[in-house]
Amino acid sequence: MPTRDIPKQPWGRLALGVLAAMVLGTVALEVNARRLQLHAGDLDNSEVDWAVERSRSAGAAVAIVGDSRILFDTDLDRFEVLTGIRPVQLAIHGTSALTLLEDTARNPEFKGLLIVGLADTMFFQPFDGYGGYIHTRETYESPARQWSAGLDHMLQRRLAFLDSSHRLSVVAAREDLNFRQGVEGPFDDIWKLAEVGERRQTWMWPRIITDGRLRAHSRWAWKGFKEKFPYTPELIAKGQARAVAAVATIRARGGDVAFVRPPSDIHLRVNEEAQVPKAKGWDALLRNTHSVGVHNDDLPPHLRRLIMPEWSHLSRRCATVFTDAYVRRLAVLTPRLKLRADAPAPLSRDDCVGPGGKPL
Amino acid sequence: MIFNSLTFVVFFAIVLAMYNLPLPWTGKKMLLMVASYIFYAAWNPPFVILLWISTVVDWWAAQAMVKSERPWTRRAWMIASVVVNLGMLGFFKYGQFLLDNFVALAAAVGIQYQPAQYEIVLPVGISFYTFATLSYTLDVYLRRSKPAKHFLDYALFVTFFPHLVAGPIMRPTELVPQFAQERRATMHQMLFGMALLTLGLFQKVVLADGFLSPVVEAVYDAREGTPGFLDAWVATLAFAGQIFCDFAGYSTSAIGVALALGFAMPDNFRFPYAAIGFSDFWRRWHITLSSWLRDYLYIPLGGNRHGPARTYGALMGTMLLGGLWHGASWTFVAWGGLHGLYLSAERWLRSRFAGFKPTPAMLVSFGMLTFLLVNLTWVFFRAKTFGGAATMLTAMVGAAAKPVPMIALLPMIYALAIVTVIVGTHWFMRNKTLEIVIERTPALLLGIVWAMMAVAVIAEQGKGSAFIYFQF
Repeated sequence: MPTRDIPKQPWGRLALGVLAAMVLGTVALEVNARRLQLHAGDLDNSEVDWAVERSRSAGAAVAIVGDSRILFDTDLDRFEVLTGIRPVQLAIHGTSALTLLEDTARNPEFKGLLIVGLADTMFFQPFDGYGGYIHTRETYESPARQWSAGLDHMLQRRLAFLDSSHRLSVVAAREDLNFRQGVEGPFDDIWKLAEVGERRQTWMWPRIITDGRLRAHSRWAWKGFKEKFPYTPELIAKGQARAVAAVATIRARGGDVAFVRPPSDIHLRVNEEAQVPKAKGWDALLRNTHSVGVHNDDLPPHLRRLIMPEWSHLSRRCATVFTDAYVRRLAVLTPRLKLRADAPAPLSRDDCVGPGGKPL
Repeated sequence: MIFNSLTFVVFFAIVLAMYNLPLPWTGKKMLLMVASYIFYAAWNPPFVILLWISTVVDWWAAQAMVKSERPWTRRAWMIASVVVNLGMLGFFKYGQFLLDNFVALAAAVGIQYQPAQYEIVLPVGISFYTFATLSYTLDVYLRRSKPAKHFLDYALFVTFFPHLVAGPIMRPTELVPQFAQERRATMHQMLFGMALLTLGLFQKVVLADGFLSPVVEAVYDAREGTPGFLDAWVATLAFAGQIFCDFAGYSTSAIGVALALGFAMPDNFRFPYAAIGFSDFWRRWHITLSSWLRDYLYIPLGGNRHGPARTYGALMGTMLLGGLWHGASWTFVAWGGLHGLYLSAERWLRSRFAGFKPTPAMLVSFGMLTFLLVNLTWVFFRAKTFGGAATMLTAMVGAAAKPVPMIALLPMIYALAIVTVIVGTHWFMRNKTLEIVIERTPALLLGIVWAMMAVAVIAEQGKGSAFIYFQF
């Protein structure tokens, strides 16, 4: 039978000291976090949160899939005020919308309207991206994970420092300013762009708007949205075929699909267009899948110049304006979405852009 | 449920509080058993049934063996226990692997066979608890121990949550007697247990997941490009650190948790990166598994009692199966096979140069050589395919064509610093125990180190991924 010796030490006093250090350390971390403009209530999106929303999409009237653009650029509250429906947000940053479209096609319990928000190059890329974890969704549905996520969120609603982009190891790694040539290291990553509220409502971290250095770094990290591999006609055709199959599956069981192309700044758009031209990507997608869609180009001119601080995602207030615009447009294009009789008046650019073109 | 989660913090706080209520001893044991089932079910509730099957079948098998004196009856019950346990393990862990290899074999002889696709979920901890229950029935069959007097004590031995899903693999003779009388941790035991839990979480959350894992993934999981000499070695050394911190972190946490409840669990690691030779390595790495394999596989296969050829065969067989235990993949078998070759070569060298007495400097050199050769085996353990392993090994000898740098400078420095400290600590501690070193450390220094680890776990936000050995 094993035995364990207990080293002779003043364990009581040591434990009290460690407890005090933990409290002081937590306070210091929290003070520092708030100094860095992190906020309590930022729930820090996780695989478990996605899995929870995924299970909520069964029987939902509207769900949204896509990459970070539709994730940031949709104001779920505005959507609900306009239509009476709060969509289930299933978009994942860094993930092909096609991957998530196919995942919804595999979900027999979804028969609502699926809004697919896409960035052209990500849609047709030959890999899933960050959200590849959806294929092992069951591991995030275990009771233990769900309980932990619930407890995490309880703490995150009160503590600002619980932000995965500011963990000790992440902050330490970020001190590397590409010291080693040729390596895509922590400096090349997107550091922190988002804040996440309840039910995966995501918006741009306000500091991106106010901090020029962070904003410049985020713009630089996009590398112009130029991929290292070529978007060959075969690659695009393959993506089109997969989309056709997924949309047909959803429609066969009574659901429907509509596409939305959020805005991107000209600095990125020019490269996106060079890799996946609109005619071969977006236009062909709508044609092949017999779907309706709202492209940012379709919006009235004054709504096409909303603010994207780091060129790829709208500011929080402009996301509300964009949501207002695309929901109204979809309500015209598809009978699956109707505006409420008492829906508020349309928003305009002035609701998010102040004098001198500065974001509100 | 994993130790590095808020769910476990709440769970353990509740269990500890209830355990220290003035309940009768049987009531406390029931509490621990129910808590252990909740601990396991929190991962995937239906798989509690497997745990229950393993528990009940082996209880009845052991009881039947004791009640019957007829050798063939006893053997039949032993075989039944082995079949049920290894059958469950075989189906859930190796079912898909066997099927894939059968399809490949059939295709090799021109038969196109497409079986129905189905997903087999690997129940967490199945490799561990089936080995624990098997050791119970085998020890009773071999008359090494008597069966537990009470079903509750035996069931608690199987399911005791600190060791349930990733060991240490305990023998019934080590744990069941501890349930005979009420165990309650003294304040010092509880606090030392919490210190061990802190150390374990620091190893897992901060070192393994925080600093080492990204460096490993940057190379081993790179979507494109071939690493060069430096990146390949740094990633492999980082993995050596990661696998140690992850697994030893779990074991240390488990020992701490058990101690806080008043129970003693054996060491599972004894500073393995200071091993001199591979016999020494396997007396320091995953000690409870290597002793299980020695007692229930190596010795029954003949051990070293039937001449050199049989000894080498037993060694290789044991290590190959030991590799397969880690995962349903030929790379794990290769890992085990390499260790078998190392052990065999070492045995041959010892017999060939029996009178050789190495100097201290030679011993250190042998230790470094051991560490180097262990790192080569880690390549097979971590790489998902033989192709990936070949790429890494080619890079590690400087023969990669068109290598590209993959690891950023600071993460590389952090990883190398951590691994250096780990190896240095192992050499400092190789002939000591953690308890002795802690006792000799000034209280202030001990407190500072403990506090720094705890705050680091909080700063790393305490979360992490599942322990690597959960997939075994």
